[in-house]
Amino acid sequence: MSSTSVYPTPINAFKQSKRSVLSVIVDNEPGILARIVGLFSGRGYNIEALNVTVVDIKNNLSRITIETLGEEKVISQIIAQLEKLVPVHSATNLANLSESYEAEICLVKIEFDNNEQDQKILNFADIYRSRTVQKRQNIVVYEISGTSERINKFLDDLNTIGGIKVELVRSGPIGLGI
Amino acid sequence: MDNENEFTGADILLKALKDQEVDTIFGYPGGAVLPIYDAIFGQNFLKHVLVRQEAGAVHAAEGYARSSGKVGVLLVTSGPGVTNVVTGLTDALMDSIPIVCISGQVPSHLIGTDAFQECDTTGITRPCTKHNYLVKDVSKLSETIHEAFKIASSGRPGPVLIDIPKDVQFAKSKYIPKKDISFREHRIKAGSKNVDKNFVQELVNHIKNSERPIFYVGGGCLNSGPQASQELIKLVNKTNIPITTTLHGLGCFPGEDKSSLGMLGMHGNYEANLAMNKCDLMINVGARFDDRVTGRLDAFSPDSVKFHIDIDQSSINKNVKVDFHTNTDITQTLKEINSFIESDNIELEKKDYTNWWGQINDWRKKECLHYEQGEEIIKPQHAISRLYDLTTQKDTFITTEVGQHQMWAAQYYKFSKPNRWITSGGLGTMGFGMPAAVGAQMANPDSLVIDIAGEASFLMNIQEIATAVQYKLPIKIFILNNEYMGMVRQWQELLHGSRYSESYVDALPDFKKLAESFNAVGVRAKNVSELDDAINEMVSIDRPVIADIWVDKKENCFPMIPSGAAHHEMLLSKYDKENPENQEKGKVLV
Repeated sequence: MSSTSVYPTPINAFKQSKRSVLSVIVDNEPGILARIVGLFSGRGYNIEALNVTVVDIKNNLSRITIETLGEEKVISQIIAQLEKLVPVHSATNLANLSESYEAEICLVKIEFDNNEQDQKILNFADIYRSRTVQKRQNIVVYEISGTSERINKFLDDLNTIGGIKVELVRSGPIGLGI
Repeated sequence: MDNENEFTGADILLKALKDQEVDTIFGYPGGAVLPIYDAIFGQNFLKHVLVRQEAGAVHAAEGYARSSGKVGVLLVTSGPGVTNVVTGLTDALMDSIPIVCISGQVPSHLIGTDAFQECDTTGITRPCTKHNYLVKDVSKLSETIHEAFKIASSGRPGPVLIDIPKDVQFAKSKYIPKKDISFREHRIKAGSKNVDKNFVQELVNHIKNSERPIFYVGGGCLNSGPQASQELIKLVNKTNIPITTTLHGLGCFPGEDKSSLGMLGMHGNYEANLAMNKCDLMINVGARFDDRVTGRLDAFSPDSVKFHIDIDQSSINKNVKVDFHTNTDITQTLKEINSFIESDNIELEKKDYTNWWGQINDWRKKECLHYEQGEEIIKPQHAISRLYDLTTQKDTFITTEVGQHQMWAAQYYKFSKPNRWITSGGLGTMGFGMPAAVGAQMANPDSLVIDIAGEASFLMNIQEIATAVQYKLPIKIFILNNEYMGMVRQWQELLHGSRYSESYVDALPDFKKLAESFNAVGVRAKNVSELDDAINEMVSIDRPVIADIWVDKKENCFPMIPSGAAHHEMLLSKYDKENPENQEKGKVLV
């Protein structure tokens, strides 16, 4: 960090790069996503995950959720830059709220060869309470939701099974403050 | 069915411009804006200035805005017309200048087909405007234009672009006047109107207890309006606190005043930079801790408590962490500080900061702007000093290009009022000054407008001299001609072993003859004895003048904080040697 101030700054407060989930309410208009994505790429910030959907049809509002990595100083700067964009109503770092909840949804398609694999897959799916979307002879599709961390663990566990083929799609985290 | 309450998009645009009290527009016609040009043909409230290249239009609009405090407006066609203004839009964004750019677009049904003179205008200009629009529905046009003007001029000002497809210019709708539009607050971002009383109280307490305070004032003070400058002068006079300004802050406080330490930063005054380095209280009024100002960040003003007043929240803690900040309008905030000090009758009167001023006056004794003017070759510093002495009694506006001449102008030309100094700071756009002078002269027809230029920058937008001649704008181009890209040459000398790679400008035109060929007037000074006559002649002629001033080719701009060095590591002359470790680090910086 830049200057030393006579007021003590907690050590590392500006140095630690950490994961943040930002929730941005915007006017749903052409180009808004490009403005936000362009802001991130132009200023060298990271986007780890991105989710955009209309959430209020009457007032024409969308909620954009962005997972990003950066020092606290960088995250504050991202928020300030986002709030300068004309169609942006608000940008909130969920970590700064006293209470907030996060979820992500993931669809996993698993191709397997034998019964042993099938049993192991079934076992993990049961532990993680994933929902079966479709099951054929050699293919199963599950839907799992929860925190990103939970989904990561499920996928890690699946990867311990040898010889199966996994294809997946994730929504990226979404979150809400209370 | 024609309805008499309905107007074409082109007419709606003109009505909206009239409603916004726009009287001047800079532009260049083309296929996709012909309906608008047709509407301009049939009216007389709006004066259209035909530039010679669209870059000229955008810089002229900037010069107009800066010198008048109003929004500058320009009109360009699709494709190359609008891509030519990208540099100027970026310039206006960096320097917070309110302009509205209207661009034509190919008809809606051709968008996306790679049509003739089509480009993705909103895509290209998204990162270089404060906001932009593609208007696909003529019924939205009035509202869009009014919102664009509001956004351009509110909060931290900036450029806004409106892209209008040709079919929308022909299509008809009702016109909605400005007074009937209700703006949505979250889109305008005007900043808070309520001054933070705690901030004010905290600041005054710190002023009371500080020994070495300083005001650090930037372009935000200018953008808050002329009243901000009045409040600032009042506050400085009352507190006896020294004040330094950034390049864009020049003029917010009278440069000749005893409290002024002049400009700070890379080519700022020794006393200003040293005072910033040693102060115990820094009061930042609308400046953004730019890298040209701070020098090496880890050695920037290490012992000070920092206060920051800035309407733009993203300027807070971006480069330098501050201790107290407020995102309120500068005029209102300074007013509140002044009245707080008055009402509280604080013992500020007794504080004269004797030791602090003693120290500053010792630094002043270095005479960092001293130069030796010989009897023959004109020193560029001397040329600016004489220009200042011979024009200071007049109502003068100065624009500049970018480079050594710009820094010498900032150092040796003193400004006593805001909005008189129009320069490209953030982006550093060569070719800015002459079209900016065209704009400033349009806004101030009876004033003396001088573009202090270098010959290399001047050549970048030289075509605009024709605009000045056509509209009888008696702008003066004062060229410090050293046949080099001087600042490039200086850096090559200091950082690259005097290997002057491609910085010598061979085959220069004869600027006097060039002026004459454009039907302007050329004057020339080859040596010191001719300088005053050339300046006086230039000023006395009521036509565009190019003054070709031959200056010392090898002169460098000092003082200088080399890139990567700190405020207290300034070089005062070519005899000062830079710390070699800093030099290696500085080489990779800009």
